[in-house]
Amino acid sequence: MAESLGRLITDLGERTLYDAVSQCSRCGYCEQACPTYVATGDESKSPRGRNQIVRLMLEKKLDDPKAAMEALTTCLTCGACTTACYAKVPVVDIVLEGRRLLRGETHWLVKAVCRIMVTSPRLFAVLLKIGFLLKKSGLSALGRPFLRAAGLSVLASMDEHTTESPFWNLDDLTHKRENPESPAYRYFAPCGPRYLFPRVGVATLSALDELKGKGAYLDNPCCGLLAHNYGDLSVARELAKKNIEHAEKSGTEQIVGDCSSCVAHLKTYPQLFLKPEDQEWRTRAESFSKRVKDAVELYGECADKLPSAVAEGVETTYHDSCRAINPQGIKAQPRLAAKKAAGASYCEMAGADACCGGAGAFAFVNEDLSDDLLKKKVGNAAAVQAEVVLTSSTSCLIQLARGFRKYYPDAKVLHLSEFVDGALKKTHGA
Amino acid sequence: MRLDELRAQVAPGSLRSEPAELAVYSYDGALARARPDAVLLASGAADVRRAVIWCGENGVPFIARGAGTNLSGGCIAVKGGLVISLARLNRILSLDVAGRVACVEPGVVNLDLQKEAEKVGLFYAPDPASFRVSTLGGNAAENAGGPRCLKYGVTTNHVLAAEAVMPDGTLARFSQADDGPELLSLLVGAEGTLGVLVKLWLKLTPLPEDTRTILAGFPSIDAAVACVSAIIAAGVLPRALEAMDRPTVESVEVGRSLGYPKDPAILLIELDGPAAVCAREAAEVERLCAESGATTVRAATDPVERERLWEGRRGAYAALARLAPNVLVEDGVVPRDKLPDIVRRIQEIAAKHRVKAYLLFHAGDGNIHPNIAYDERDAEETGRVKAAGHEMLQACVELGGSLSGEHGIGLDKRDAMAWLFSDETLKLFHRVKDAVDPAHLANPDKLFPVAGKAATGRSFLRPPSGALSEYAKLLVDKVSSSPGASFRVRGASTRWKDETPAGAVELLTTGLGRIADLDKRNFTLTVETGVSIHALQRELEIQGVFVRLPKSGGTVGGLLATRPWPGLREDILGMRVLLSNGDVVELGGKVVKNVAGYDLSRLLLGSWGTFGVILEVTMKLHARPVETPSSLAPASPPKPSLWASRVRKAFDPDGRMNPGLGG
Repeated sequence: MAESLGRLITDLGERTLYDAVSQCSRCGYCEQACPTYVATGDESKSPRGRNQIVRLMLEKKLDDPKAAMEALTTCLTCGACTTACYAKVPVVDIVLEGRRLLRGETHWLVKAVCRIMVTSPRLFAVLLKIGFLLKKSGLSALGRPFLRAAGLSVLASMDEHTTESPFWNLDDLTHKRENPESPAYRYFAPCGPRYLFPRVGVATLSALDELKGKGAYLDNPCCGLLAHNYGDLSVARELAKKNIEHAEKSGTEQIVGDCSSCVAHLKTYPQLFLKPEDQEWRTRAESFSKRVKDAVELYGECADKLPSAVAEGVETTYHDSCRAINPQGIKAQPRLAAKKAAGASYCEMAGADACCGGAGAFAFVNEDLSDDLLKKKVGNAAAVQAEVVLTSSTSCLIQLARGFRKYYPDAKVLHLSEFVDGALKKTHGA
Repeated sequence: MRLDELRAQVAPGSLRSEPAELAVYSYDGALARARPDAVLLASGAADVRRAVIWCGENGVPFIARGAGTNLSGGCIAVKGGLVISLARLNRILSLDVAGRVACVEPGVVNLDLQKEAEKVGLFYAPDPASFRVSTLGGNAAENAGGPRCLKYGVTTNHVLAAEAVMPDGTLARFSQADDGPELLSLLVGAEGTLGVLVKLWLKLTPLPEDTRTILAGFPSIDAAVACVSAIIAAGVLPRALEAMDRPTVESVEVGRSLGYPKDPAILLIELDGPAAVCAREAAEVERLCAESGATTVRAATDPVERERLWEGRRGAYAALARLAPNVLVEDGVVPRDKLPDIVRRIQEIAAKHRVKAYLLFHAGDGNIHPNIAYDERDAEETGRVKAAGHEMLQACVELGGSLSGEHGIGLDKRDAMAWLFSDETLKLFHRVKDAVDPAHLANPDKLFPVAGKAATGRSFLRPPSGALSEYAKLLVDKVSSSPGASFRVRGASTRWKDETPAGAVELLTTGLGRIADLDKRNFTLTVETGVSIHALQRELEIQGVFVRLPKSGGTVGGLLATRPWPGLREDILGMRVLLSNGDVVELGGKVVKNVAGYDLSRLLLGSWGTFGVILEVTMKLHARPVETPSSLAPASPPKPSLWASRVRKAFDPDGRMNPGLGG
């Protein structure tokens, strides 16, 4: 059994895991919000069902770890259920706790990656470059069967799902950037924009510099979400502490990230420090989290500074990243920005707030279910004849790019940063 | 249990029996839990049939389940067995815009139909609070209501036809248009105890041109209820007439301000219809509110402002759900004018059991929801909450009301049925169940007190009905004193004029000439069935009220028994019926919203006297004339259908009532 949090910060206050899960009254009002329930009609793949499974595990009334694990691993952790829930039962946290209770040893690969993230991010960057070279040369595709045979089908799927293999990562690209004395904001480089989509990071920096004033690019550690969701909490805590210390070195400016999953995680750092002995870290985490902003929130706040309708003529829609809309409640802000720049070409698609099936590692381990959700999403985008679909999370970028490649090549996915930056540059003639 | 036999017949992976899977099908939205032995995620009606046949062969109970949001323990497997989940049967099969009919599978979510209907300018009227998640099959099985049912009627008023897998594994179709007894209404609201609904034809309604919302604050519940009665008496039928008490408003106002008046009672009144009518009615309602002593009246027409007025009502359950892990959403009905009494009783009962009841009610139809927040993990508290809930229901029954307006009886209230129905009526319910499901495999041990087990608590609390008239007593005596005889029930012989067969005892109903109760506060009428329709309508006209009966010769009873117009069903609330064994059973009641037990009153429509003699009928009244057909098709006795014959045996096992007339 992996270490678990035991206590959670819920909408109703701090609660033990058991109290948090018992707040679910089984009313079932979450069911239709849950993409996996809607896709399968199976109660064990619903938020209510997952809550009950964890509750019964805690009450020692359920001895079926295999089926329980199946129910919990098929959760996308999108959090749409909590948004629908009257009592805001924190199902995602409950599911993650349930997985920790059921999990024996953390998988060696996850452990190794997490370790590298903590001790030597540089090595991680180098390893990725080697991986990307293999991908460019086509060797990785040939290697997929071997990876699958070696029990590493996750790696094979990851390779299969994305076409990105940038040689220069965001650190390389911002090498020459000079940070101002008192930056207008502090850019948090999430691993996605940093290593896989450096163009997104570049766009975020450029757009925010324009809208907020020059910001700082500081070499931050990984946020620890990977360790939090799939690995060991001790590692997640270590990375959180590193980040808090790292941010405390500078002033009190906003910390802005451009992957909603990481940003949402940064905002929940206090939950990692609920033990009495962690009181000091809890306080520090609380001040840290208060500084964190999702880049798309800022675009909304600055929407009036964006040029009007410069991107008109290209049908544009918005896909909510789950970790933006559900835990962070970000819905209106990105749309304000997108509508301002796209003008009459902005259209809302049906089910914009439904998960695309990306959801971190979900797409690599639950491929069929993920594909069902993806097809639905692509269908909704196609129904409004979208050419550009905007979003805010790395997982969505990978998943939607794959979906459009596969099912609807007329559309492409962009991070809202890329869109906003493009709009700003257009008026400046860049 | 030979599960493998069934597994081989259904899609791979759709029959589940892992402990974790059974655990998540062991509950619904209520408190009780019971694990089934297996769960079938049916992928079509054919699967349902295979499963029901397999259950029959193996003596395994089966329980149909939609979204599992039931609030009375209706879809849990109390006797184990197979849960048949219909969640995957979720296609809207057709939507006939011109005919305003949707044909759906039972797993379609209510909201999904609403969305599709709205695209073509229509809506589906029943709107239970769970409409975002609950399924149409579940809604039909429970005969769900919702705020809009005051004007538009509950689910049974919107089910035009249904296909069901019957307990013997056959597929049967029932329609309002069928000849003979109205079997369709027997299936709707039967909570899955008579078969599994696998296809529904539902009535859609044109979207209104205009909607207006009025919020009014009153110095007391009594004043608010008086206002509700005044609105209905004025002939205004709002699409919603909701009330809430001050503690409920306060619970929503934690951390935010709704801008609601601080009065002890709030009414939310929503009107819809053509713009001109809406405007006129709104003015009328505002005037009536002021006359009834409203301290504040606010009106809104634009959607944003209207939504703001609704915020407190819509946020109420959410607010209560945050007070504690569990909320008992009790569901009782009383005649509308008894609302102030039931509120006082509820408050006394809550105080006695040291619980806090938050009151929300569909005031227009006397349906009250006392809500009590608690933590099920505290056994002592849970005990007090349950006891309080039960006493509140007893109070409803004592005031002439019913046990449930829209949540169903299920498991939680099955024993309470003995408070409401006489032994004779309960026995009839059991016989109906036996006739349709002799092996008791369809959702067993629900809806009625379990045979052989003593009823808990006090029994039979319903206030005595008016005594039978002298003439009715005469008919009862005649039947009781003629064991073995066959009877010919006859009204004015307007619709059917055959001779009484030799040897048969004639039961002439024309002497049943009494208007037993004309209640202009509640707008209900109880009338003996020998009354001529002309005479009744003349009398009602003098009183300034109207009834949904077409202008026609003959008696009320003759019209109901021959059912020449399906619309007769809409306003039927209850009946008193004389059976061939001499029992007089009382079906339904005087309340306008009632889901306690099988809907046998509607079943008797079109039964041609072959089920029993309808002595009295209770119907809704209207303050304005109701549209009815100007001429009726001539009637002739129906050809007996298989299920009609089986159900008839529950009423008249030896076929002594009107033999030869379609029995």
